[in-house]
Amino acid sequence: MSESPSPSLPSRQTEAPDEAALSRILQESREIRGVSLWQDAWRRLRRNRAAMASLVFLVILMLAAIFTPLLPLQSPADKDLNNRRFLPPNFDSVVMGSREGLKFEDGRLTAQLAKYQASVEQERSEILSIDDPVERAEKLDAFEKRASVEHPFNQLWNQLGPVAFTMCRIRVAIFGDWAVPSLFGTDKLGRDLLSRVFWGSRVSLVVGIVATIVSLIIGVSYGAIAGYLGGTVDAIMMRIVDMLYSIPFIFVVIFLVTFLGEDSVKKILDQYGIEQITIFYIIIGAIYWLTMSRVVRGQVLSLRHEQFVEAARTVGASPGRIIFRHVVPNTLGVVIVYLTLTIPSVMLFEAFLSFLGLGVSPPDVSLGLLLNDGVEALSIVKLFWWVVVFPGAALALTLFALNFLGDGLRDALDPKMKNRS
Amino acid sequence: MPPELRRLFVILAVVVMGIAVVWATRFDSMPPADFSIQNGTDPKTLDPHRATGQPESRILFGMFSGLLQMLPDGDPDPVSGLQPMSPQPAVAKSYEVSDDKLTYTFHLRDDAVWSDGVPITSEDFVWSWTRMLHPATACEYNFQLFSVPFAEQFSSGVVNVGDRCEVELFDRPNPDGTTEADTGELNIQNFPRGTMLYGTLREIRKPPEPELAEDVTEDDREEAMLNWQESWVFVLDIAEEDENGDIDWDGPTTRQTFTADMDSPVADEDTQRVHNVLVAFSKLGGMETPDEHTFVVNLEDPLPYFPSLAAYYPLFPVPRHVIEKHGAPMWTKAENIVSNGPYVVGLRRLRDRVRLVKNPRWFGADSVAIETIDALSTEGQNTALNMYETGQIDWVTDPPTALLETLKQRDDFYAAPMLSVYFFRINTTRKPLDDPRIRRALSMAIDRQQIVDQVAKAGQVPAYALVPPGIVGYEPPPGFKPDVDAAKQLLADAGYPGGRGIPKITLLYNTSEGHRAIAEVVQQQLQNNLNVKLELQNMEWGSFLDKTNQIDYDIARAGWIADYADPNTFLDLWLTDGPQNSTGWSSAEFDQLLKEAAAESDAEKRMQLLSQAEAIWIDEMPVIPLYFYVGINMVKPRIKGFFPSPQDLHPLHLMSIDDGSDQQTDAEVAGKPNGRDLFIADRLLSAPAPLSKLPSIIRPTAPSQLPNEKVTAR
Amino acid sequence: MTDLFSYAIRRFGWMLLTVWAVYTVSFVLMRAVPGNPFSSERTVPPAIERQLRARYNLDAPPIEQYTDYLVGIVTRGDLGVSIRLEDYTVNEVLAEGFPVSASLAILALVFALTLGVTAGVVSAVYRGSAGDLALMGTAVLGIAIPNFVLASLAILLFVFIIPIFPAAGWGTLRQVALPALCLGAPVAAYIARLTRAGMLEVLGREHVRTAFAKGLPKSTVILKHVLPGALLPVVSYLGPATASVLTGSLVLEKIFALPGIGSHFIYAATQRDYTLAMGMVLTYTVLLFVMNSLVDLSYAVIDPRVKLQ
Repeated sequence: MSESPSPSLPSRQTEAPDEAALSRILQESREIRGVSLWQDAWRRLRRNRAAMASLVFLVILMLAAIFTPLLPLQSPADKDLNNRRFLPPNFDSVVMGSREGLKFEDGRLTAQLAKYQASVEQERSEILSIDDPVERAEKLDAFEKRASVEHPFNQLWNQLGPVAFTMCRIRVAIFGDWAVPSLFGTDKLGRDLLSRVFWGSRVSLVVGIVATIVSLIIGVSYGAIAGYLGGTVDAIMMRIVDMLYSIPFIFVVIFLVTFLGEDSVKKILDQYGIEQITIFYIIIGAIYWLTMSRVVRGQVLSLRHEQFVEAARTVGASPGRIIFRHVVPNTLGVVIVYLTLTIPSVMLFEAFLSFLGLGVSPPDVSLGLLLNDGVEALSIVKLFWWVVVFPGAALALTLFALNFLGDGLRDALDPKMKNRS
Repeated sequence: MPPELRRLFVILAVVVMGIAVVWATRFDSMPPADFSIQNGTDPKTLDPHRATGQPESRILFGMFSGLLQMLPDGDPDPVSGLQPMSPQPAVAKSYEVSDDKLTYTFHLRDDAVWSDGVPITSEDFVWSWTRMLHPATACEYNFQLFSVPFAEQFSSGVVNVGDRCEVELFDRPNPDGTTEADTGELNIQNFPRGTMLYGTLREIRKPPEPELAEDVTEDDREEAMLNWQESWVFVLDIAEEDENGDIDWDGPTTRQTFTADMDSPVADEDTQRVHNVLVAFSKLGGMETPDEHTFVVNLEDPLPYFPSLAAYYPLFPVPRHVIEKHGAPMWTKAENIVSNGPYVVGLRRLRDRVRLVKNPRWFGADSVAIETIDALSTEGQNTALNMYETGQIDWVTDPPTALLETLKQRDDFYAAPMLSVYFFRINTTRKPLDDPRIRRALSMAIDRQQIVDQVAKAGQVPAYALVPPGIVGYEPPPGFKPDVDAAKQLLADAGYPGGRGIPKITLLYNTSEGHRAIAEVVQQQLQNNLNVKLELQNMEWGSFLDKTNQIDYDIARAGWIADYADPNTFLDLWLTDGPQNSTGWSSAEFDQLLKEAAAESDAEKRMQLLSQAEAIWIDEMPVIPLYFYVGINMVKPRIKGFFPSPQDLHPLHLMSIDDGSDQQTDAEVAGKPNGRDLFIADRLLSAPAPLSKLPSIIRPTAPSQLPNEKVTAR
Repeated sequence: MTDLFSYAIRRFGWMLLTVWAVYTVSFVLMRAVPGNPFSSERTVPPAIERQLRARYNLDAPPIEQYTDYLVGIVTRGDLGVSIRLEDYTVNEVLAEGFPVSASLAILALVFALTLGVTAGVVSAVYRGSAGDLALMGTAVLGIAIPNFVLASLAILLFVFIIPIFPAAGWGTLRQVALPALCLGAPVAAYIARLTRAGMLEVLGREHVRTAFAKGLPKSTVILKHVLPGALLPVVSYLGPATASVLTGSLVLEKIFALPGIGSHFIYAATQRDYTLAMGMVLTYTVLLFVMNSLVDLSYAVIDPRVKLQ
């Protein structure tokens, strides 16, 4: 069996052997302005232009994804079938709510919103004027429920979560009816591709990050425990990982996705407030922990005889505490590098599942789903290039950035590189 | 490990890699066929009694010939370009119908033989139809013969005391020469028969019915009941059979007892083990064989569409001698199968192709122009189109939806109305959908024209009724009108003004791009027009069907293709006990009208009754019809003899290849007996109706994703 | 040699255990998914459904089905009859499809190795040059584009714009070349990056510096002293590479209409073809396990520092 050759990190002296010495050492360490590993790494990372550019890009992307509903984009779900199918990229201005089928006042979202507000206010004041408090509360409750159903946003955005709903309100307050033109063109049902790419990135990134975090939690705990305990436990735990490596997980995923799509299962999940898509992330995460656990184990194996671990043991810390308090933080460098590589694979896996028709379901969009739609419209007979190029570019850029950042981090965190660059 | 060994290992690895590459690049090359079809997916089986889908039917119509065959009849419709088809002689050279329309006498050709030279006789049809109806065959089209006396009873396995029955003893032959009786092992086959005995059922001895607790599941209950039924002991007076196979029902008999479960508490010592006791369908006069070349069918109802059924593949003959020799499913292997149509199977490779080779023994072999045909299992729409564009495929059956607007402009694109309908089933047992007003409101608020023009795209016929237009003699009732205001009013009447308070409704569809697009558009339309919220749920085909069958959904997508050109094929779905009803809807009046129609021998009156039934259906709206499908095909101009037809049937033996340079082919074709049909087809090709005027048609599904989809419904 | 032998034996034992575990889990999963294999738009009467079930032994109690099927596999290598493709046994389906998938995978892997290692070596040797940047940029692109997009673009490019390959199908080397290239591309990209990183690391080692100092020609140093060490990570990546090629073939078989076994699985799983799905899962498991073991073995043989466990 091979050890994963991984760079060993210098151990941080976080615990001292005896109480008296402790304060003295602490005192000394405060006086010496040492450069911590992280500061050092950050210094080196800053010098790597590709990695820094990637980092900036990713931060912007994350912000854009989180605040997508705030941006003056068109609705990703509103389908203007009659006039706007397969429009190539253009700069024609767009007014929110102008589609005939919506029957909005003046063909404008703001006008409709104003009309709606007025009627709501009027009705609410009528209800509020009822004397009987019980009846009033009852009616008000029913009314609020109804009002939220009738809100014009539902007509345009279909289903919005509470957070997205609030953000959309702010967005309308700021930008009014104005929306960015269809710079990326429109798709086969007349939806704006630019906004779909943004909303899709949002879902894809969330899938990538959540799944990676799940894999992180499982992988790090498993690897750290195996590595720290060593011996037979380690051997057995690693054999199990070997076994799991040989399981064709894609097949298991297909089963699980079918299984979780089942009504009875869904109902049970709903009871606990879990959405199907959450499970979806967790499944993907549960697949990607294997390599993580191997890497962490390798690290921990080399760390467990370090002095600070011995020290903690001498002081009487429990194995759990030693592992998670002292050992795991020291593997973070490798783990972070590995994280930047897992997110891309998860995002690709999501795209793959979308291709097989097992990914997220509408009205949600993801980059994988967009790409799948795009590939369908890609033919020599007629080339709707924009439906595949823009989502493809969005995905590729994200993965590009993650890869470069990962490379940069690896170099930055590798002490052997210290004196070279 | 010593370094020499290490070096050796590296060399070994390189050598292994080299060998692997050499192995991987060896191919048995196979010349392409003269004519290649995109068949959509692998045929599930080549057994005509077990097949159900379009991919299967394209091959089966080429491989087998029935009593009759669907052939072009008359001129194509000038507007739609649709070529009418009618059942015309095939294995039967002619047939007569009695005045009461109940007896059909078919006269078989003398030169009809199986592809191995064995002659086809009327007995083959008796055997084949019995096999088709036998419960163990589980033919999904068995109902097509239910108007033959005792067929339904035979097929559903019901026997009553006093019935004349057949008994199949537990001694089916095994391939190794032994029988079940020797080994005691069950030999599960669709229809290979052990020793048959015939007699009158005198008594059924039943052990006490099992007591079941209240809380057992439906499945367990069913299981227990079936176990109990298996332990019944049947007491029969067995009659004698003469050498012609006729039974002397009123002659001397011997009393014997039979059971399927030898451990049955009510069995005697001499009770014999049997597979099943069924009504003796094949001996009770439904089918008669006065001689080898005459086949008589007696019906209970005057079905006007019976000849169409006789031209449909479930009623085709199957080679008894081959099935008995190889057993099922081995007989369908390319090396074993024997057929009686224009083509025989030359090769079958999963996920790749079925190669059909001209059958020189077919009675019309002289007129068959194409020597080899490949039915390719190409599923991807774009893949198939790419192959078409590069000349690897000559006939595309499923062009990509995204490109239809462009493809529609081309001369090699054929779209023609088809007898099929796309609809949403509604669960009429759930609130609030149990209210017909709500169902109508939903239905009226859907803008079908938009769906047809912008999503399905070739611009197809929006459906405001159930039965597609184009069935001769049928006057459909006036459908409803799409009317958003009236829909709002209906919703308000039902207690949900402005869509207020209506719970979220789930729309279930099976995973496919096309269905998804339609579902999304309907979702938006209902949201915008009625403020009704639709939640979309997609499922894989298997789970989807399960949900539908168990009526565990709110609204579910479905489709239906006519089995025969008659309104009945659409209407009898909604009978109270109809296996396809699956909506919980039931109307005594509707059932009654269909029943009367079945017994009516006057064609006009019958159609009126059916029309009345449809009117009730429209009024109650247990289903939201969306649109009528169109058959879409793209065929290379070099292929002659292709024409759009109402059931999307395209007989392969009428097609020929025109290479342009090869004048001889044309001359040959013109001189052939089938010249008339070819001429019609040629004319159709040379002067096609302006395509822009065609009722455009699109299959909004991506059926390629789901083989079964194509099968019974899209 | 003996440790090799005992390693193989132990691995085999683990494989049996893995296969058994996979069998059990798949069995439970398949039975847990609602719906039965005989769902069809035309409903089958219960008595007939029972006969159909009997044919596939689905009428027996679950425990009996579990053992019967397992015994069949172990004693006769018989994976049963496919439920959906009723003219075929699972063994026949595998026998027809496996050579296709295997050819595709072998070609893809060999292509990926050749191209990846070459690109990695070149860009490491000329580190920092424009060529290095271009190669590594392409490599990242290869990792960043899903293979179904790559395949669709490749078809446009190499079938229509520069017509050198046929659009789809199976039967000639030209037909298999394009799918193999698309399948191998992401793996090649990954291998190129691994090789480059490995090369750079080894290039900095003392023995390499010594070799250069001795005045050996550059090509000799790289081939004899650098490459063997640099390829170690590549060898250990071959296991995951096989897995990724097998998964990727599901997509490419669909796009290129190839009659391999990959496309069967999706159907088997979604259409409840229990027996076929089981056959697929077990085949892939054995395949992956053998591949992983071979990789570990090679690693131990090539790298003197590693001992077989």
